[in-house]
Amino acid sequence: MLQKQGLLALILLFSSGLFAQTKLIRGVVLGAENKQPLEGATVVVNKSEHPVVTNSQGRFEVELTQDKALLTISFVGRESYETEVKAGQPDLTILLKASNSTLEEVVAVAYTTVKRSGYPGAVTSISSDKINNRLTPNITNALQGLAPGIQTTSANGQPGNSSTIRIRGVGSINASSAPLFVVDGAPYEGDINALDPADIAAISILKDATAANLYGSRAANGVIIITTKQGKKGDAVINATLNQGWGSRAVKDYDKLGTDQYFELYWEALRNKALSNGQTDAQAAATASSALVSNLGINPYGAAYPEPVGHDGKLVASAKPLWNDDWEKGMHQSAKYTQAQLSFSGGSERSTYYVGGGYTNNDGAFLSSGFKRYNFRSNLTLQAKPWLKVGLNINGASTSQDYPTSSDSKQANVVLFGRTIPGFYPIYQRNADGSYKLDNIGQRQFDYGAYRPNAALPKYNLIGSMPLNRSRNTNENVSTRTYLEAAITKALKIKTSFNLDYTNLNSLYYTNPLLGEDAAIGGTVQKNSNRFLAYTWNNIATYDLDIASAHHINLLAGHEYYYLNSSGLSGNRQNFALPYLYEPVAASQLMDFTGTSDNYTKLSFFGQGQYNYLGKYFFTASVRRDGSSRFSPDSRWGTFWSTGASWRISEEEFLKPVNWLSALTIKTSYGASGNDNLSTTNGGYYAYLPLYSIENNLGNGGVVPSRLPTPGLKWETNLNFNTGVDFGFLKNRIYGSFNYYRRTSKDLLYSKPLAGSTGFTAISANIGELRNTGVELELNVVPVSNNDWRWLVGINVAHNKNEITSLPQKEIISGTKKLMVGTSVYDFFLRQWAGVDAATGNPMWYRTTADGKKETTSTYSQGTQYYTGSALPDVTGGITSSLTYKQVELSFVFAYSLGGKVLDADYISLLTGAVNPGRNWSPELLSHWTPDHTNTNVPRFTTDDLGFTSTSSRFLYDATYARLKQLSLGYNIPEKLLGRIGFKSAKVYGLAENLLTFYGHKGMDPEQAVDGTTYYQYPQMKTISVGVQIGL
Amino acid sequence: MKTYKSYIYFAALVFGLSACNKQLNTAPTNAVPEEIVLRSVANLNTLYEGSWRALMDDFYSDIYGNPGFKTIALVSEAMGDDVALITTKYSYAPVYRFTQMVDKTQSRNNAIWNQLYKIINSTNIIIANVDNVTGDATAKQVLKAQALALRAHLYLTIASFYQFSYLKDPLAKTAPIYTTPTTDTTRGNPKATLKDIYTQVFADLLQAKGLLDGYQRTAKYKINKDVVNGLLARAYLNTGQWLSAAAAADEALKNYPLMPPADYTKGFNDVNNSEWIWGHPEIPSQSDGSYSFNFLDVSSPVSGYYSFMADPFFGELFDNGDIRKTLFSWDNNPGREGNLQYKKFRFRDDETGDLVLMRSAEAYLIKAEGYARENNITEGAAALNALRTARGAITFDPTGATQQQLIDAILVERRKELWGEGFALADIIRNQLPVVRKPYVDGSGNDRKVTITTPDGVTKQVPAKYHTALKFADGTPFVANSPNYLFTIPQTEEQNNPNLFN
Repeated sequence: MLQKQGLLALILLFSSGLFAQTKLIRGVVLGAENKQPLEGATVVVNKSEHPVVTNSQGRFEVELTQDKALLTISFVGRESYETEVKAGQPDLTILLKASNSTLEEVVAVAYTTVKRSGYPGAVTSISSDKINNRLTPNITNALQGLAPGIQTTSANGQPGNSSTIRIRGVGSINASSAPLFVVDGAPYEGDINALDPADIAAISILKDATAANLYGSRAANGVIIITTKQGKKGDAVINATLNQGWGSRAVKDYDKLGTDQYFELYWEALRNKALSNGQTDAQAAATASSALVSNLGINPYGAAYPEPVGHDGKLVASAKPLWNDDWEKGMHQSAKYTQAQLSFSGGSERSTYYVGGGYTNNDGAFLSSGFKRYNFRSNLTLQAKPWLKVGLNINGASTSQDYPTSSDSKQANVVLFGRTIPGFYPIYQRNADGSYKLDNIGQRQFDYGAYRPNAALPKYNLIGSMPLNRSRNTNENVSTRTYLEAAITKALKIKTSFNLDYTNLNSLYYTNPLLGEDAAIGGTVQKNSNRFLAYTWNNIATYDLDIASAHHINLLAGHEYYYLNSSGLSGNRQNFALPYLYEPVAASQLMDFTGTSDNYTKLSFFGQGQYNYLGKYFFTASVRRDGSSRFSPDSRWGTFWSTGASWRISEEEFLKPVNWLSALTIKTSYGASGNDNLSTTNGGYYAYLPLYSIENNLGNGGVVPSRLPTPGLKWETNLNFNTGVDFGFLKNRIYGSFNYYRRTSKDLLYSKPLAGSTGFTAISANIGELRNTGVELELNVVPVSNNDWRWLVGINVAHNKNEITSLPQKEIISGTKKLMVGTSVYDFFLRQWAGVDAATGNPMWYRTTADGKKETTSTYSQGTQYYTGSALPDVTGGITSSLTYKQVELSFVFAYSLGGKVLDADYISLLTGAVNPGRNWSPELLSHWTPDHTNTNVPRFTTDDLGFTSTSSRFLYDATYARLKQLSLGYNIPEKLLGRIGFKSAKVYGLAENLLTFYGHKGMDPEQAVDGTTYYQYPQMKTISVGVQIGL
Repeated sequence: MKTYKSYIYFAALVFGLSACNKQLNTAPTNAVPEEIVLRSVANLNTLYEGSWRALMDDFYSDIYGNPGFKTIALVSEAMGDDVALITTKYSYAPVYRFTQMVDKTQSRNNAIWNQLYKIINSTNIIIANVDNVTGDATAKQVLKAQALALRAHLYLTIASFYQFSYLKDPLAKTAPIYTTPTTDTTRGNPKATLKDIYTQVFADLLQAKGLLDGYQRTAKYKINKDVVNGLLARAYLNTGQWLSAAAAADEALKNYPLMPPADYTKGFNDVNNSEWIWGHPEIPSQSDGSYSFNFLDVSSPVSGYYSFMADPFFGELFDNGDIRKTLFSWDNNPGREGNLQYKKFRFRDDETGDLVLMRSAEAYLIKAEGYARENNITEGAAALNALRTARGAITFDPTGATQQQLIDAILVERRKELWGEGFALADIIRNQLPVVRKPYVDGSGNDRKVTITTPDGVTKQVPAKYHTALKFADGTPFVANSPNYLFTIPQTEEQNNPNLFN
């Protein structure tokens, strides 16, 4: 074996001597580090146009027309290799080294693909290895930390839920700020859960005008392009993967007080309240001791201690709780994660196929939650005629999500329930002596606790009732992408494609008639069915011309028609006469039945030109005209455009001698895109019309005014400027890119607030302007790369500043935020906590008096609201690393978010103290004010509501966190061992998702909604699994 | 050949594209454009029906704590003397403690304000357009009258809660008046005085009364002349026009005989009750308003919050023999022991309950108060006693009684008769009284004990539960005309109405 330092590839020459004088050249292409065959590598003779592709064993053969020829061998993600061959030469073995840089790769952009080097647009691509093997069924959860400028947060970690994605900041106030998803060339309207991450070949994230604006009115918030796997010419390749894992919540819940401390603390509150009612010390202590048990509704110390806390405020000696039931634990289940995939791919001269199927079962950490998916995909291409190509991708998925309430302050919230009820309330009914009350067949009986005070959720015991209830979403998705591509001439191609996404969403919510919250009304059932049908028909002509290798022109013209129909019906009934029947038919009382449908259509015409000279100077320009049904016929058409240029300086002669510089491109782009995506609550599809919504009354038809007209309502415009540099140093051992951008969203589709006395709270208007300015750095380093070792480290960092630059009025208060010119869309505007009054123990807030003096007040309603920080992080990003040593691979993805604040309402619910007796309390309450302990942040303890827990800056916490999103350790079983059992490849590995979290405010999962508010949501799951991947 | 193909392709494309263009015109299925609503009296009538639904059966701001128009009644009761609210229950504790309605940033203030004015705008649309739409003249007349009366009802509600008594200062600025439909250029009207608001209320009611001659309503939620008379009586009482109040009340009560005693114990959930002048029927599929029973109903197992308990002192106001007295009992359920239940409101079996808006009992009391305030003791006592007799209570003896004694008796009777119906705070504001809440303790300051028998059959003594908010939140005592009693104009109105303070 010959190894030569600095070579891009190694050639091993074997002498067979059998093929002397023939012009046929044969060889095999292998990965340099693991000697695995590379399927689909291209071999080009004398830089001709018709490459030969290696088969699944990595083998190729080419025929030479002359005695000598130059072969160029390339493979995506690896460095190309050129070598001169002579006719009659023995078989070649070509080892391709993994490419250090991704700067040369081909990436998908709007309606086409481009080579990244020299392209003026800002595109981040994510390769399949980062996403294929993730322990989440939802691809949006796998993007975190992988690309700069993508803020990904998963506020609700229930299996099957998606993350919120913001590309380069929040781009709109009332319209959607969510990016457009494109799957295999057409906007994707299906359920994101229908996409199996294992089927994905690559993801491109389009961030600037040049890359995204050909999508016109849908490009304003960036575009995420997902390309699925296609078959390659050669023998069938069979891949099988099996994962088995175990999950639990990623971070622990808040700490809570134990029973003894709880009783003593509550006694103190009752005593203090009685004192303030004018009772003497002795009377007050007696009142407190006697009221304690009756107020809490239970005595966990047993009948022997009718007053477990004595008049001295201390637990009576020898009193011990007879039970301490862990409701939190009771609400959890052991969660399994099972994933299995099987795929077949291959192809012939005229056709390719990729057929795959998968099964995923992702149990949730909480009772009765989980997600299940069965999916299949078939991607076929057929070269029907030399000039005609046909393609058909079909994806089908059936998903089922057990979805108990997991946000909101409802009693049935599975996350909140276990957190709320203290251990001194029994899960199963108990006798006064602590023994279980058994039923006539000797079974324990769940305690629904009608005696519990309101704060301890009387009549509810989800541990008992959840297994009897149902809350299930079952979705069926079919998604097709089909096209016909005709090569009219060598340069001109016309492609027509028809793409259809069909989703049928069904949900069933059932509460049982036997036990629990709805037993009194005989149980309830609600059934919803919603159908979404979206299709996109587009026709695209491309003209590609090379003039004497110096000028390259690529022109594209197209048309697109988009149609979305949504239709749904829902009904509910109650009062089941018989148990164990789950469908509405069995419930005797009809409550409601309703249904609606709607259409949304869009028509577009677009064109794009790309030009480069000598592969050094690049120019692009695009224009698109969109008409949307969301606007009136007079203002529904909008024009969107982009222009960009780049210069590959490193290709210039004067930089050629600079050895350490491998690549350097500067680029810039500018353009205008649009947004018509008003949410249903902000005007939906008809924000321009004066409308009356249907509100029937007692069998009579009824309407109420729902919106004022805005006849001239038009597109929100997003002006996007980007400039950046792509660089590679030291033979691309260090490479990356740096970008600066300024996104200005103007003519915002704004719900301009109106005085409520007008009868409307808002009117739609194109007012206001919002700016996102930021920088992004993506840096990749290859510290070690040799035959045995390869180590790659990637760091991405993004900083975004969100600023309102124009508003229709001076200030707009919306919930916990206030909008003003100069602030961000998510700046908290709250009463400012001023601490606890050392003299009285009362809570204090700041207020500004009429003459401008800032003072404190203990009356919450008199406190002034102030800006108290932003919910938006200062810096987001990730660190990725992969280390390969021979057959062993170790990699991780680490995501982080620095800065920003979260208003933790979840925690507030544990601090309400004696105002809400019976609910769990935080140990922080032990530090409450007393005359002897005045330096504290918790006021005096009483059953009166001092307003302490009213929303204020007291409960803002730093949102900084870092999370080890993925950790993977794998071992490729060597080929010689596999040969005996007939496997081509086999890998065993361990995976972990969300294994570690670093954060400051214990108890709260640091991933919360983008606006920085909590809502009693399902925390993220931590999953650990082992798996095996086999290739045949 | 290829060229030919591209022609076909091109032709198909052009055809396809022109077909698409038409597809850009879409229409909603759950809403109608304005022009359709304003086409005929039948169509316009849907706006009245929808407004009524929005008033009564809509969780204001989508919050369960705000079950339609009854929200205002619940707030009014929670801020009065006689509801000893269980403060650990949902939604009304800050109201009860006088910290919510005074705070302009609280969502409930927004919810009530926005919804009342939303419906005022709907009535304005009807009034502005009803004369011009096609349709039967009588139908137009009735629709117009009902819109006028509904508008008056809403402004009367605003005048009752957003400012002190008219008799304190009729020129106090209160809230904006709108009498024409809002358009996309409306910016907001300035606060008007109480006097201006009542002028509008009287004008609307008197016009409505004229238009409703001969109208026979088909359901008790619809406004007929009796309802208008009842509203007039309230407005006259608020503005100190005592004899007019008595006269209007007398007209309103004529067709609604006081209910037999047995009906009093049936749960106040039936619009067909003989003395309900105005009420809203509830059905399972339209029952947001019924949610108010979750607070008021303290005895049904299905009741969610049962938080509106009676104060023990309130229970002591009733005589033996009074049918209302039979509705009291000390709660014996675990966790609720010692609360005084007043079982006036009860859910029906299907978890709904009709919503009372006006009863002849109230009209009797207005009539009594009107005469009493005019110092006509005989007529005043007669009206009061008509009600007391029907309830089985001891009658008021007018012999030698002073005017003040009679007025005091009437005001106590209003508390006793109208408990839970939303008059508590309104009467405190109207009569410029302080809230009165006292600890229910014995001479030495210890909690008074009551005897209960638990569901398990154990008899025991427990402390009687009474008011927990005996002072304002800042520790100061309850006083008359405190700003803490008033509903505050929400911050969003201040922010977005540039003319509010003009």
